[in-house]
Amino acid sequence: MDTRPVLMKGIGEADLRSIDVYKSRGGYEMLERAVKTMQPAQIVEIVSKSGLRGRGGAGFPTGRKWQFLPENGEPRYLVCNSDEAEPGTFKDRMLLEETPHQIIEGMLIGAYAIRSHHAFIYIRGEFLRGYEIFRAAVEQARAAGYIGKGICGTDYDLELTIHRGAGAYICGEETALLNSLEGKRGEPRLKPPFPAIKGLYGKPTVVNNSETLSYLAPILRNGAEWFAGVGTERSTGYKIVSISGHVKRPGNYEVPLATPIRVLIDECAGGLRDGRKFMAVQPGGGSSACLFEEHLDLPYDYESMAKNGTMLGSGAMVVFDDTTDFVHAALALVRFFAHESCGQCTPCREGGHWLEQMLERIVHGDGLESDIDLLKSVSHQITGLNLCPLGDSIEPFLSSVVNRFEDQFRAYVKVPVAS
Amino acid sequence: MTATSFEELAAALKPEADAIVAQYEDSRSALLPLIHRFQDAQGYVSADAMRTTAEWLGLSLAVVESTVSFYTLFFRRPVGRYMLQVCRNLSCTMNGAGAIMERFRERLGVGHLETTEDGLFSYEEVECLAACDRAPCMQVNLEFVYDLTPQAVDDMVAAIRGGTYPVKPLAQTEAPARSWHVSKDAVPRVPGGRDVPDPNDPGGIGDRTGVIMLDRVVRDLSPDRTRERLVKDGRELLERGH
Repeated sequence: MDTRPVLMKGIGEADLRSIDVYKSRGGYEMLERAVKTMQPAQIVEIVSKSGLRGRGGAGFPTGRKWQFLPENGEPRYLVCNSDEAEPGTFKDRMLLEETPHQIIEGMLIGAYAIRSHHAFIYIRGEFLRGYEIFRAAVEQARAAGYIGKGICGTDYDLELTIHRGAGAYICGEETALLNSLEGKRGEPRLKPPFPAIKGLYGKPTVVNNSETLSYLAPILRNGAEWFAGVGTERSTGYKIVSISGHVKRPGNYEVPLATPIRVLIDECAGGLRDGRKFMAVQPGGGSSACLFEEHLDLPYDYESMAKNGTMLGSGAMVVFDDTTDFVHAALALVRFFAHESCGQCTPCREGGHWLEQMLERIVHGDGLESDIDLLKSVSHQITGLNLCPLGDSIEPFLSSVVNRFEDQFRAYVKVPVAS
Repeated sequence: MTATSFEELAAALKPEADAIVAQYEDSRSALLPLIHRFQDAQGYVSADAMRTTAEWLGLSLAVVESTVSFYTLFFRRPVGRYMLQVCRNLSCTMNGAGAIMERFRERLGVGHLETTEDGLFSYEEVECLAACDRAPCMQVNLEFVYDLTPQAVDDMVAAIRGGTYPVKPLAQTEAPARSWHVSKDAVPRVPGGRDVPDPNDPGGIGDRTGVIMLDRVVRDLSPDRTRERLVKDGRELLERGH
């Protein structure tokens, strides 16, 4: 099975950071074709037909997102989201460090398609190396006439600005990202209005993930039918899956959507370590609920995951074997969300800390039997009551492992004895 | 950093700052980039840096400080020359991050969010760094280190102490305190609230100075520095004839 068919092609073989190498493999040809021979609306149509959905986590159809932009003559902005921080996800960092021109070309095609003249990329603060590589690539692209005034000799102008974050998971949420880009605290905004109507500086804005944008050039090259022909009717094309945890070969694997989970774990990631038994897999990043043995033959696509009470999210798959202490695993994720809550919404801000304190108490042997029910009750009271999805992300993993491995939680708590 | 040298730094940064501001439709967008530049130069975000950024962008100091305080990579107090940030999230935890964190704490003699007394190391346990395929992982001054083992921790600490570690040290314009973290817990709480004794409670303390000083000692000062400070203050009081 080819696990580097499109975006990952050539990584590790050629120095794709060099614009000459990238161009020798067909790079920037699609940008040139787009700005010279295509109308923006044509590109929107091709991308809509391809069925491409947002690869950052939400899975929203990219073409439809673009079509929400109002025709009001206001300037529009394209923002590339490279603030990758969803636990278990490490694909955007790879794209940034290994094949930055693919992101740049995608940003340029996307910006042209929505008729924007200023694109931004928001790079996670921790990715200093990725930022430096990307900055060098932008300079190369600018020198080659792909960024700035009169791109490829046409009258299309586009400025590209790189913006570095400074440590905040929440800035991956698109409205928090826009606030951060405006020099504010990275607190999510109340929606509606959605960014397509009022985004950066109050102007119509599209925020797309770097993997999403990277697929634009391959889609233009091979056609909407090519992409739509892979996967299922509603989950089309390829997806980079970051597999980690208790597997032999953790890494990024680019696969057709709807590849069975078992194939991803056993064939791509080399299966579990010798002598270990499979216990669970978290299929879509830290925010997703676990799946278990009975789910291993499910196709890995947006619909199948949703139907089984979880999500595909950012495509981060964490595999757990029988050495896993799920109480500690739950603590690690709950502590993460408690730490990353921006603090605007009470259920998320307070609830996360309550859960963290309860789990701390449990792992230290001070928990009571009743704490197990309390965990479930508190986590359910956080969900659905917040401005953004962060608060809602605390419950799924926790509930799924408390329900499935309640014995592990029980082993930690004190059972009251009648005196 | 003395006033003059900060002014020199600000003057040197001004042309770059103007170029940064020009990249955005609204000058406030330059806030994070400017603070990054100042931190690179000073090793932390000084009050001068925030005041100057506020002035350049036409913002109030409160707005700048509030924004800066939101982001974990902005250090509002001086830190060590090597910022060690070890991932404590899921994939790393499941692949031995616990032993790595324990070894660092042991070797450095400090805990989470603390700086060693020699000002060489700052240590923090952080969230997912997007290198789960090479767990357990960490960053040293934002450079990735993968596939950690306790032995690798020992080697790294020794190499940094010996001056042979290949990562560039951070700028350090001021001696760091015990912790750079300005936590909400460091703010004295309302009397009667959690952790603070009620002044009306016969068992409590009426004057909160003690609580505030204790907080400073625990968070900012090492035992040795506390002793030095007490001796110095005591001597001064005696000299003044108290």
